Amino acid sequence: MSCMWCHNPEGQSLEPLVIRSPAGERIAGKVYTAAELASLLNQQVDILRANEGGITFSGGEPLLQADFVAEVIDLLDDVHILFDTCGFGGEKSFRQLVNRSDLIYFDLKLIDNKAHRHFTGCANDLILKNLQVLSEMGKPFVVRVPLVPGVTDTDHNLAAIAQVVCDLPGLMYVDLLPYNKAAGSKYRYAGMEFNPEYDEAQTLNINTGIFKRAGIRVNVV
Amino acid sequence: MALRDRVRAGDHRCLRQAASIKVLTECEARQLSWPRRVACLVRRQCEAEQVIIEADERIVFTRTLPGVPAIYSPDDWARMTSGRTLHELGPVSNIAADWGLLLTQGLLGRRQVALDTRQRLVEDPKGVEFLDCAIETIDAVLHLADRYAEQARAMGSENLATILERVPARPARSFHEALQSLRLCQAVVWLGGNYHVGLGRFDQYMWPYLQVDLQTGLLTIDTAEELLAEFFISLNKDSDLYPGVQQGDNGQSLTLGGVTPAGELAVNELTLMVLRVSRDLALIDPKINLRLSAQTDLDLLASATELTRIGLGFPQYSNDDVVIPALVEHGYDLDDARDYVVAACWEFIIPGRGMEVVNIGAVSFPAAADQAIRTGLSAGDDFDVLLGRVSENIDQQVHLIADAYSRLLLPPAPYYSVFMRDCLERGSDLSNGLKYNNFGIHGAGAANAADALAAVKHFIFEEGSISPQDLLSALEADYANYEHLRSRLAGEGPKVGNNDDEVDQLMVRLYTDFAGACEGYGRTPHGGILRPGTGSAMYYIWLATGHQGMREPVVGATAEGRRSGEPLSVNLSASLGVPVRGPISVLQSFAKIDYRRVFNGGPITMELSDSVFRNPESIHKTAMLVRIFAQLGCQQLQLNSLNLETLLEAKKHPEEHKDLIVRVWGWSGYFCELAPEYQDQIIARHYFGS
Repeated sequence: MSCMWCHNPEGQSLEPLVIRSPAGERIAGKVYTAAELASLLNQQVDILRANEGGITFSGGEPLLQADFVAEVIDLLDDVHILFDTCGFGGEKSFRQLVNRSDLIYFDLKLIDNKAHRHFTGCANDLILKNLQVLSEMGKPFVVRVPLVPGVTDTDHNLAAIAQVVCDLPGLMYVDLLPYNKAAGSKYRYAGMEFNPEYDEAQTLNINTGIFKRAGIRVNVV
Repeated sequence: MALRDRVRAGDHRCLRQAASIKVLTECEARQLSWPRRVACLVRRQCEAEQVIIEADERIVFTRTLPGVPAIYSPDDWARMTSGRTLHELGPVSNIAADWGLLLTQGLLGRRQVALDTRQRLVEDPKGVEFLDCAIETIDAVLHLADRYAEQARAMGSENLATILERVPARPARSFHEALQSLRLCQAVVWLGGNYHVGLGRFDQYMWPYLQVDLQTGLLTIDTAEELLAEFFISLNKDSDLYPGVQQGDNGQSLTLGGVTPAGELAVNELTLMVLRVSRDLALIDPKINLRLSAQTDLDLLASATELTRIGLGFPQYSNDDVVIPALVEHGYDLDDARDYVVAACWEFIIPGRGMEVVNIGAVSFPAAADQAIRTGLSAGDDFDVLLGRVSENIDQQVHLIADAYSRLLLPPAPYYSVFMRDCLERGSDLSNGLKYNNFGIHGAGAANAADALAAVKHFIFEEGSISPQDLLSALEADYANYEHLRSRLAGEGPKVGNNDDEVDQLMVRLYTDFAGACEGYGRTPHGGILRPGTGSAMYYIWLATGHQGMREPVVGATAEGRRSGEPLSVNLSASLGVPVRGPISVLQSFAKIDYRRVFNGGPITMELSDSVFRNPESIHKTAMLVRIFAQLGCQQLQLNSLNLETLLEAKKHPEEHKDLIVRVWGWSGYFCELAPEYQDQIIARHYFGS
């Protein structure tokens, strides 16, 4: 996926990327073997376990390297695993990571497939399918909706999301994530272009009522 | 909150007098001794103060005198101080009074102690002179309080007048009286030219008064909070007149929590009240320190985290589990060690019992490492010999600083002495020493130095992928035309902050060398030892850029890929530009330092993006992080929460961000009142902060 509002554009590439900013140059992304990464993470596992903590696999997108992530998780000592995903990936990969996780953050952006293709660069069929798979697998999950002004924050879209998720067993709550105005600043540094087709300054429609009326717990974070 | 906003806007400053008074003529005409000149200064300052009471004020004193006048002519001063070392500006600073002495005895009680001792010491002219000086200053403050009381009476503020007729002369009977007594007496310490005047264990010496008021119903939690807020606002009135390296660096710190001298848990309702009021006021004074241990209640840590969340940059946390044993190991009595507070920034000091100069200078680890690298590589050393050079350099730096301070000249401070243990009782000014008389030295830029040594070890001695000559030439050229080499050194190889033993052990070694040098130095002529610390103070800038009159060596380009002039890491933090594996790996790296030997203080300094706090669980999670800090056996921690965009915006449009607060090195200040080099270092810290 390549969402128009992505605020970690350097995470879209599978290769390490050079970031050049006024504060200097750095390389985003580093190549590890599964064993190397697991051993680094295991240095902190005792502390995390003793303090209600855990390890989050986020992104970029873990599904882009599902076999690797699964291998890392298998090498970890016992610790709470959170899998933060856009849901765009093959069902086998998806099941593989859900099976190894204690909690899943699942992003939903747009229900209208045409709009989804336009703003994220891909169709949402796989995503919606994986959401059903997730629900059937019985793992607890949170649906997270980035609120992009005039794009995802419309009553129409929010109502459609509420309708899709309201009957899913395993759904803990919905998190609405207000638009991050700093999103655009990184593109230039990563040698990419930021061309939003929406007005960043437009006031957000943070309509929690739609979810509440559908009986869904909702937070604005 | 009208009062808060008026003080923040500086409305009261128009009431200030145009010029400082002159006392030199009187001092010279009467041919006064040094102690008598200081007493004369305090008296005359009190006499010249104009009484300012605003209609809605309940805790009064607003300073109107803009400066502290000279008591010696420049020539005389030069003669007196020739060959001697003055600490910073000269006057005693950065120590902690025992304000409980004031509140429990009142100035009249202290005066009686002085009179009793004077009778006993009648044969000792020095002792008598000191006591006469102390009494002169006490009388001056009492007279100033009388004038305030009269004015309050004249304005019809009967309650305030009654309070001012009672305190600071006599022991406080209520929370309100205690706050008023402290406000006036602490402000006069500043007026006499002493600075970095701390507030000590505020929740301990103030709590008895609040407790009684709450029990008798004189105050409710709400009315007590209003009074406390007024007191805190009053501490912000004159702070622009206080000397410091940067605006805001004024040492008005207080310490909360911890244990009592007997070892009981010391947290009380006032501890929490201070945290709440400070959060609601969002002012830079007083700066708050919280003592904790691995067992500290998470709810208390959560209350403290509320201050971090709104971006105050405090509280700073000190770990009793680590600090108290280290103090005891170095000769502090257990009950005193348990009573420690944090001085202006982070240094541990015992209120009323320490005439310690906790910041006599800094060891520059980057200079020690860099000199060893340049000399060692030129000489064809192996890596162990090179490390030996580092140890020698550190030892030399310690000696240079300590030798300078063997000639330390401390001016008398008869008024400040009133609030110290045993000065009036023994008839001896605090400048002659108190129970503890140690000196502290900062240890600055350890992450840079360890990264530089690790780079040399990794690239030159292990991989052989960079030649000694290339590195030396690149350093000599300040990396001009060596950008590829520089970015390898900066971007690759092990770096402090990632819980990587290969480099962390080099950092640990720097501090061990430092501790060894201090221990090897032995006792100073002031009767104390040298305390090595982990703070950098402003040296993270000064050691890179140079500063007038600085004893410490300046370092140029360094082997971790840092160009000449670029700032060093602040306190205990990763080198600028180093990506770390998260807050826990930073704590794990710095937990390796032997804090039993390195015990002058100096916090792990971490930047959290304010986006962390968008999550409703963030307060709890940050409190957990603070607990992990304690569990890992780290010594001190400060957390800063800020948004990079806001910082950049504030630099462009300072007028729109006047209230933006940032943590600088050991204190919080207003971002827009800082010099650009300090602003830029904070921006760089946040840019790379994770």
